[in-house]
Amino acid sequence: MVATILLIVHGLVAVALLGALTHQTLATWAPGRSGSFFGRFRRVPPASFANAVVILYVIAALLGGIVYLYFRVDIRPSLERAGHWPALGFFDIKEHFISIGAALLPAYWVCWRRPRTEEPYRMRAALTGILAFIVWWGFLTGHVVNNIMGFGS
Amino acid sequence: MTSSHAFRRFAFAYGTAFAVLYVVALKLDLALFTVYPKQSVVLLGTHHSRDVVDPAMSFLAPAMYWYGWTASAALGALVFGLLGAVLPELWTRRIWAGWLWLIPIAAMSACVYLTMPWFRL
Repeated sequence: MVATILLIVHGLVAVALLGALTHQTLATWAPGRSGSFFGRFRRVPPASFANAVVILYVIAALLGGIVYLYFRVDIRPSLERAGHWPALGFFDIKEHFISIGAALLPAYWVCWRRPRTEEPYRMRAALTGILAFIVWWGFLTGHVVNNIMGFGS
Repeated sequence: MTSSHAFRRFAFAYGTAFAVLYVVALKLDLALFTVYPKQSVVLLGTHHSRDVVDPAMSFLAPAMYWYGWTASAALGALVFGLLGAVLPELWTRRIWAGWLWLIPIAAMSACVYLTMPWFRL
């Protein structure tokens, strides 16, 4: 029961993080000009998302780190017995990516909140892109692995 | 030198060093500690249950290394980060800033490569 609640909260925080990072990434890489839905989606001020992204990433990673204990004991053995090796491989990659992304957060925050004039804009864009890739990878992998076992199994 | 400049150098050095050290920890299996969640036990260093019991029985004590690898890399990166913070800015300015995003991408690719055995099972 505790694991299920934590997993749902972890998922909800991840959705918020995904939204914030996707907004910021698109606004950084392809700023919107038109007044269409997609144009407005990309016209947000990207720097304003930095604090939220850092806080949400840390919360999602901490919750994920706790849920991972339940996963290792209750879920992974079943996946191994069922031979879901690629899913476990994708999940391992997710853990590695999340750690590397977490270590980039201080630099990401500095680049957005304390930018320097001589600092290339592409550095901010690259860091945001890397974090967005990591969060999308983590979200989709977690979603697929959760779907394999099914809710409450 | 202001604290904001020192923190910037710390953040840049920490992020890049962590990416490299994480791959090293993963490749060499250098976990600062090993977690046995079923037994609620944490042991210092890398421990494999198959080394002390029959491999067929290792499922009784599943081990977790991810926390340990992350802690190893974080500890090492902290040293590099602090070094970066205390070094004169004149020195660090010569380092190409692009390493900050290029090294993590390379590290992520290395992690994928090291995970490939899962996909050959």
